[in-house]
Amino acid sequence: MSKNNELVDDLVAKLKRRQLVGSSTVSQATLKLLIVVISKSNWTTCNQLVTIVKTVGQRLVQANPTELAVGNIVRRVLHVIREEFHEAESTISHKNQASTSEFHAAPLTTSSSMYNLLGETGSTPDKNLQFPSSLRSNIIQEIREIKDELENIYDNIKNQASLQIHSNEIIMTIGRSKTVEEFLKMAAVKRKFQVLVAESAPSYSGQEMALELSKAGIETTVIPDSAVFAVMSRVNKVILGTHAVLANGGLVAISGTHMMAAAAKHHSIPVVVCTGLYKLSPLYPYDEDTFNVQFNPDSVLGFEEGDLIDKVTVTNPYYDYVSPEFVNLFITNQGGHPPSYLYRLIVENYDPNDHSFDL
Amino acid sequence: MAENFDVVATYKTLLLTSPELSMPVAAIQSLVELIKHSKATTMSEFMLSIKDASQQLKSSVRNSISLSAGCDLFLRFVTRNSQDVADFESWKRTLIVRGQSFVEKADACRYKIADLGVPFIKDGSVILIHAHSRVVSLLLQKAAENHKRFKVFVTESSQTQGGIQSAKVLRAAGIPTTIILDAAVGYVIDKVDMVLVGAEGVVENGGLINQIGSYQMAIVAKATNKPFYAVAESYKFVRLFPLNQYDLPTYNADTLSFQELNVDYDENAPNADGSLGTVTGKTRSLASDSPLTATSQAALHMKVSEDRASQGSNPLVDYTPPNYITLLFTDLGVLTPSGVSDELIKLYL
Repeated sequence: MSKNNELVDDLVAKLKRRQLVGSSTVSQATLKLLIVVISKSNWTTCNQLVTIVKTVGQRLVQANPTELAVGNIVRRVLHVIREEFHEAESTISHKNQASTSEFHAAPLTTSSSMYNLLGETGSTPDKNLQFPSSLRSNIIQEIREIKDELENIYDNIKNQASLQIHSNEIIMTIGRSKTVEEFLKMAAVKRKFQVLVAESAPSYSGQEMALELSKAGIETTVIPDSAVFAVMSRVNKVILGTHAVLANGGLVAISGTHMMAAAAKHHSIPVVVCTGLYKLSPLYPYDEDTFNVQFNPDSVLGFEEGDLIDKVTVTNPYYDYVSPEFVNLFITNQGGHPPSYLYRLIVENYDPNDHSFDL
Repeated sequence: MAENFDVVATYKTLLLTSPELSMPVAAIQSLVELIKHSKATTMSEFMLSIKDASQQLKSSVRNSISLSAGCDLFLRFVTRNSQDVADFESWKRTLIVRGQSFVEKADACRYKIADLGVPFIKDGSVILIHAHSRVVSLLLQKAAENHKRFKVFVTESSQTQGGIQSAKVLRAAGIPTTIILDAAVGYVIDKVDMVLVGAEGVVENGGLINQIGSYQMAIVAKATNKPFYAVAESYKFVRLFPLNQYDLPTYNADTLSFQELNVDYDENAPNADGSLGTVTGKTRSLASDSPLTATSQAALHMKVSEDRASQGSNPLVDYTPPNYITLLFTDLGVLTPSGVSDELIKLYL
């Protein structure tokens, strides 16, 4: 148990110090930690295990609330745990040949929540139920599948590239996203097209992106962020990466994304977002600044400009919130979805009881 | 048939005795009462009596939308469980128990919705609400309890005067509330951060049926890019697919029809052009440049509005299409309009 705590403390500290950043990195670290926690701790019932995982999850999320992927992975794991227990329970009770057959609701009961208003809800599981010892390994096995999914995410997304990008198209993007980078590189294997990259001041990650793309032989042009609207009329498609996707289909993405999406909407240019499902969060943007981070403003206005620094306030927000009406299509590792479909993916991947980690 | 049991009367007394009860819940409770009194001995007789009763209920009120949501949900529940009945009497008892527990749980639904909705209320915001909705009031009360500071504009909603009732409830909870005219929605919208409305019913495409005036609020909110949230318990989801206002079951030929003005203005103000009177007969449109004096025109307006009120030709509810709704707060969670369709399909497929 103490060994577990050490590992949790370690990850919490890394998240707090922002030594671990980026959705992909943090989600893999979270998953690795949870596998250890589940296999090393003592539990016998579903509630016990859920409580253990939730407690760890709560600490990780609090360590850096803007890394939404951490919470998503914890929720995915909780979902797996609940399902495995449910399955084990039903096989056991089948063996016992359900003694009290007072009411056999149709199998749909569990899926239709409206129906649950009238039907049985939260049937209290038998406390004395003995779960087979294979349960622990089954759960670990399922979690390893999530791990595989995380590892193969780029492959699954980039395989859809040639469907989205056609010959001689002009694509615009912003910032550096590993997902978009892989996506465009894959498309370049079959197609010839041009990419415009907004430089993404003040981090200039767009410039790095442009370098990577040109190395792969794609015709790439860097434009200043201020020129996005001016050249938008010539663009065929905007392809964006994102930091997180919220439950309503809104994005938390690098600052500048909202401006680009708005320009695209003005010109009726389709906006496509490439993202792994682990970035999909069941949370809502209660407030546009909820998930934003203010970065060091040094890169906006350096300290050398001492005279000016005294007189002005300089802020450097890292993210933008982009509302769902700006997005036309999400390309995930499970295929393409319109923003209005995302709630469905949330229902499939997360349990509604896990949206908040309060116990 | 359930002899001597008047389901409609039961329903009406239920609503009278407990004003906090919403229509669908009262409908289900009345149907449960019916089952208690039912002397049916066969399955088909039993099913027939329930269907019959819910039909009676639906036709007994002028606006049956939310009532029919309750009836349909209960009927669906009964039919789905009617397949594997071993012992008829014990099955009936179970139905009664389930029905009663539903009525108890219905209240909890509202609290759950309130909890889900509270985080959407920002500190220092101004909220526009429409008429009176118990669940909206509860949500705002909860938010106030959570020390959120916000102000509320509520439309008077002249038909039912529900806005005045809302204002009373909210002021009692210590929320600064101002009643505005229904026609002032556009005037205040620039000061407003979000619009919050309740629902009579939520339809299959995720659209909303609510007290008249909700649709125009939604249009104004959309035009000014303000979020428009609907708050509804899931037992208000109905199986309707209206394509426009006139698809609603509450619409009939009388609703806002043009047959009015069998005006006797010929006597009050003699017509300059006598031929016009004969052409249009007794009807004449208000828009035509009539020779009526200002005062008699006002009198005419008065008469028209009295007429309409007495005929009940003004619609009570309107339909808000899903593209105007930002999100719906329900006890099943916060849903997008397409999420509603999903829940309904799951129930009725």
